[in-house]
Amino acid sequence: MSDLELSVAAKDTDRPKLAPGRWIWSAVLPVALVLLLLGFAAVDRGVLSPANLLNIAQQTSYLALFAMAQTVVILTRGFDLALGPTVSMVSVGTALAMAGATASGHDIGVVLLAGLGAGFALGIACGLFNGVVIALLGVNPFVATLGSYNIAIGIATTLSSGRPVQGVPASFSQIFYSGSVFGVPAAIVITVAVGVVLHLMLSRTVFGRSIYLIGTNPRAAAVAGLPARRILVATYVLCSGLAALGAIMMTARTGSGEPNLGGALSLQAIAGAVVGGTSLAGGRGGVGTAVLGALFITILSNGMNLTRIDGYVQMIVLGAIVIIGVLLDRLRLEQRQ
Amino acid sequence: MNTALATASPQSAIGPRSIAGRIGLLPALLVLLVASMSAVDPQFYGINNVLNILRNASLLAIVACGQALVIIAGGFDLSVGAVVALASVVTAKTMAATAAAFPGNTPLIIAGGVAAGLGCGAVVGLLNGFCVAKLKVSGFVVTLGTMSATAGVGLMITNGIPVYGMPEIFVKGFGRAQALGLPTAVHVALVVIALMVFVQRRTLFGRYVYAIGGNVDAAVVSGVSIQRHIVGTYVVSSVLAALTGILLTAQVGSGQASFGGDRMMLQSIAAAVIGGVSLRGGVGRIEIVAISALFLTILGNALNLLHVDSRLQPVFLGVIMVAAVALDELSRRSKARV
Repeated sequence: MSDLELSVAAKDTDRPKLAPGRWIWSAVLPVALVLLLLGFAAVDRGVLSPANLLNIAQQTSYLALFAMAQTVVILTRGFDLALGPTVSMVSVGTALAMAGATASGHDIGVVLLAGLGAGFALGIACGLFNGVVIALLGVNPFVATLGSYNIAIGIATTLSSGRPVQGVPASFSQIFYSGSVFGVPAAIVITVAVGVVLHLMLSRTVFGRSIYLIGTNPRAAAVAGLPARRILVATYVLCSGLAALGAIMMTARTGSGEPNLGGALSLQAIAGAVVGGTSLAGGRGGVGTAVLGALFITILSNGMNLTRIDGYVQMIVLGAIVIIGVLLDRLRLEQRQ
Repeated sequence: MNTALATASPQSAIGPRSIAGRIGLLPALLVLLVASMSAVDPQFYGINNVLNILRNASLLAIVACGQALVIIAGGFDLSVGAVVALASVVTAKTMAATAAAFPGNTPLIIAGGVAAGLGCGAVVGLLNGFCVAKLKVSGFVVTLGTMSATAGVGLMITNGIPVYGMPEIFVKGFGRAQALGLPTAVHVALVVIALMVFVQRRTLFGRYVYAIGGNVDAAVVSGVSIQRHIVGTYVVSSVLAALTGILLTAQVGSGQASFGGDRMMLQSIAAAVIGGVSLRGGVGRIEIVAISALFLTILGNALNLLHVDSRLQPVFLGVIMVAAVALDELSRRSKARV
């Protein structure tokens, strides 16, 4: 046996030792998901009907998108409390821009462009604000995004006078909500596409790996010569940009610009990311954890709705699930070490 | 000579600046705000408006004191707003139930209601503290979970309908009453603030909280029992939130699951942070937090009197919050460079 073969053999014997523990822990959530579905199906057959499964997939795609956005900043030990209000602000801005463009007699292409342009511009502006305040001024992410939370709420309600903004063209809703590719609803298509791109970006590009390094070990990142501040600003812009995309999709669903669209989304998106196994300590998680967490929360609330569990009880269950999810994650981490 | 100069000069250089940074800025802003508002609008210093401001500031200050304690120990309490609601509902329900069981026995009814309200606050605090200290789950996530659960319990008990049936004297003789010309909530808040300042400065608990927030490892090595003190901070925070819920209930005359909420939670964190409590832990003083709660309340009142659109008001709060912390951060950086 040559040295090379030995080292390969050693690696092979190493792997099975570690594998079972890891495998069991990382399977906890998917198994829980299946059990949850089967449990609800035992109470109400309708849970597993194709129509409801498609419904779950569609509902998940919105939350998954927001959880992905949140994950990007959580990876750097931050988070974005302003995500929900950003969604509201973008929704109002998009609707206003489209209504304005329609009123001044532009054709539909210009109208759609105006809406998308306004929406993404507002989202990116919000991300830039967060990023600059956090990375350049050194303000804690909690305070910085709590500040922009208030600012975005103020802007959203002022622009809309607190009322839904009408005048969203039907073709906008057609493209981003009722449209489909080979029978798959638009929301699912967009989220899957974004998920794939984001996953490749996080795992295969220097930018993506830098995000992980900044979250795992900021000092090492600085020593390695990473432009940490610039990368941090970019992650917040990316987060708000994804939130803007989600807001546009939700605006297409409701067919109007809603100043309360974001509501509790900030915390729901954080809960989704965290339940899926994204660590608030930074550096652990990705597209997979965000989707898994979003799926779990959506199935839970969909099942509880179908089995007619009281909405207030649902709040209690969701609270308990968030804590238990993070607790399991911590135990999993200890197991590995 | 040289050494004397060297020791003297940094003191004279840092002294005024650190005083301005730590204590002077907020009261100065407060005075400026009060003075300019008084000049602009005589309604501002009308007795009704002043009492209104003091009452609202007291409620916020009580919650913010507890929040500040948790943050100083390096944690977060997102559940305070939900606890305000739960305590309000539980207090009113218990009073109504006791009144039905023992009609006319007012002291028992009031004592039962207040004890139940504070008790449910303590339970939430214990739960938070247990999850954070023993199970080692991050405080943000734990209190995010208990926030949802607590709000759910409050709504479940009441179905979202206000709870009536409290004794007259609890509402008219306590909640809406005035003593020495000030609403009772102000007296309660002053007692709480004084007590908390004392705890923070003169008790081991207070000093250990600073130690834990400042440097956990050093605190462990010094023999501080971390877990017990962390649980303590969460219990204090939740009980104070419950106290605010009870005061609010007595003032309004009914128990409502819509009291407190996210708004109260966010404002309490804003008050703590603007009051110089560092989210890194280990830094912050209760009395400044109380002044900051007063400042925030007056600011909201001033914006109302100036007829600033209520929808636009959150923007001001957001900008001021970020600016306050950014200034603090920048001044620390320039100090570190020197």
